[in-house]
Amino acid sequence: MDESLIIKLDNIIKRYEMGENQVLALDDISLEIKKNEYVAIMGPSGSGKTTLMSIIGCLDTPSSGTYYLDGENVEVMDDNELADVRNRKIGFVFQTFNLLPRENCIKNVELPLIYAGVKADQREELAIQALKNVGLEDRMFHKPPELSGGQRQRVAVARALVNNPSIILADEPTGNLDTKTGDEIMKLFHKLWQSGHTIILVTHEEDIALNAKRIIRLRDGKIIDDYVNTHQILIEDQKNI
Amino acid sequence: MKIIATKEAFLQAIHSIRANTLRSSLAALGVVIGITFVILMGWVLSGLDKAMEDSFKAMGTDVMYVDKFDWAGGKSWKELRNRPNITLDQTEKLISRLTSAELAVPVARTNRGKIVYGNQVYENIAIQGTTSQFSLTPSGTIDSGRFFNDIEDRMASNVVVLGWKVYQTLFPNGNSIGSTIKINNVKYTVIGVATKQGTTFADFMDNIVYIPLKSFLGTFGKYRRNFSICVKAGSTDQLDNVRAEVEGQMRMIRNLKPWEENNFSINETKTFETAVSTIRTIVWVVGIGMTLLSFIVGIIGIVNIMFVSIYERTKEIGIRKALGAKRYDILIQIIFESTTIAIIGAFISFVLTSVVAYITATFLPKLIPQVGFLSPMIPLDLLGIATVISIMVGIIAGLLPAMRAANFEPVVAIRYE
Repeated sequence: MDESLIIKLDNIIKRYEMGENQVLALDDISLEIKKNEYVAIMGPSGSGKTTLMSIIGCLDTPSSGTYYLDGENVEVMDDNELADVRNRKIGFVFQTFNLLPRENCIKNVELPLIYAGVKADQREELAIQALKNVGLEDRMFHKPPELSGGQRQRVAVARALVNNPSIILADEPTGNLDTKTGDEIMKLFHKLWQSGHTIILVTHEEDIALNAKRIIRLRDGKIIDDYVNTHQILIEDQKNI
Repeated sequence: MKIIATKEAFLQAIHSIRANTLRSSLAALGVVIGITFVILMGWVLSGLDKAMEDSFKAMGTDVMYVDKFDWAGGKSWKELRNRPNITLDQTEKLISRLTSAELAVPVARTNRGKIVYGNQVYENIAIQGTTSQFSLTPSGTIDSGRFFNDIEDRMASNVVVLGWKVYQTLFPNGNSIGSTIKINNVKYTVIGVATKQGTTFADFMDNIVYIPLKSFLGTFGKYRRNFSICVKAGSTDQLDNVRAEVEGQMRMIRNLKPWEENNFSINETKTFETAVSTIRTIVWVVGIGMTLLSFIVGIIGIVNIMFVSIYERTKEIGIRKALGAKRYDILIQIIFESTTIAIIGAFISFVLTSVVAYITATFLPKLIPQVGFLSPMIPLDLLGIATVISIMVGIIAGLLPAMRAANFEPVVAIRYE
């Protein structure tokens, strides 16, 4: 297999049983994503993009098809092995932040490290470093309810980064933010991409998707379009001139 | 790696309990009641045991009584009653023939004693006629004054040694020696007081007076009288030898044929213990039944609270699983939480029962002397047992909710609002 490939989906099908009806959420999806790509997965609601993101994030398993994540065959794994893969290889950023409200920022960012078995003092060090990277060093001891939406999403990004994962998987990361804070978060992702991270963005907003270098469009569980985002390249070319 | 996650799960459990103090303490209430039951029951029983043991010691663990009746029970009353009395002649024969025992003393007894001192009248006191050698058995130990001597035995002197309870009742201000009391209308001079024997629980052992055997037979008559023989083996190692000799001699004295059963009993404190242990077992079984019931209620309480707790934290569990928590991590976190609740319940009971025990044992015996056997301290091994039980209760109560939580689908749980 190609060394630079980080995600390889072959003929992925996901069916849901809804009473007697079967819903085909993903219909024969094949997809390859290379290291240090910046991909946006787009589509209207019901297009299957959330299902696809759950499968890529190992939160759910496909009904059929094969999935290689960073060279590991995921679809043969049991629950505990999937948990381990999520812990090591994936950094999640969610629309609703999904932070633990009763814990302060450091504790929240430490969470993936706890399940990776990192010792307490080392955990705190790594968490503080990750929070510095997202510009939250002065808010480290605050709890999520005391932070603004943009700050909470930056805590979530720090948490996604702390384990040094293979991919960062962001599900509508700006969906609960105003335009200005949304832009700040997108700048953060851009910075992460520049420093070598692989980023997969799931969104239905066109202007957010335009930040990515490659855009994949879904409809009714199928990929209907997959192209290089020339718009973004044009902007950067302009910057370079 | 497991250790780190386990330590974290424990801290999480404490955190979660502190965040829901009221709910957690309500959940612990059932355990508090259950553990309190266990400890108080054990406390009362251990007090009883101690009292029993002390009584046995007072009676002497190397002492046996050859008697018409059997102390342990289990034999039919009719059969026992139809046995022949042990006559004075048989008593004297046995005493003179025994070689292995340290001591053998004749005892005659009635429970229909009537004692008059001044204008005080006491009835149904045990009167025991015996010889001076009885002072060498543990029951004959003297607290003040002296036991009657050999000469007083032979002279059938009217002297009396009071049991502790009789002494206390008749002479609340002390100073009994030299006083004259009437036993069934015959005047006796008090020459000594026996040491306190039974605990307050078995105080019948002190409700007795000792007089010389000949005086006893003079006052209460010797016709058709039943005697018993108090045999002191010397040490508990000698018990088997002495018992064998006593049995053999008694059978010879009574001309029993080899196929005939003994028509007398050899009673030891040990036979008493067997009878007592049956009673203990019954108390335990009844007590355990009641305790079990309160534990079931306690467990249901915790299970309920834990289910509420995991559904309330569905999203949190989803987040944890998405970030890499395995089934085990979730399982252990929930079980730690329920176990901690149960242990907290147990510690509340420790404090509660310690206070109850201290206050009861300090003040209640002043009102009801019969409960003087209660100790002001809860025995430590009981606290150990209670801790183990509470941990088990916590694990049992946490298991079902924990398994449910560990099986949450992360993709569903994380979207739960």
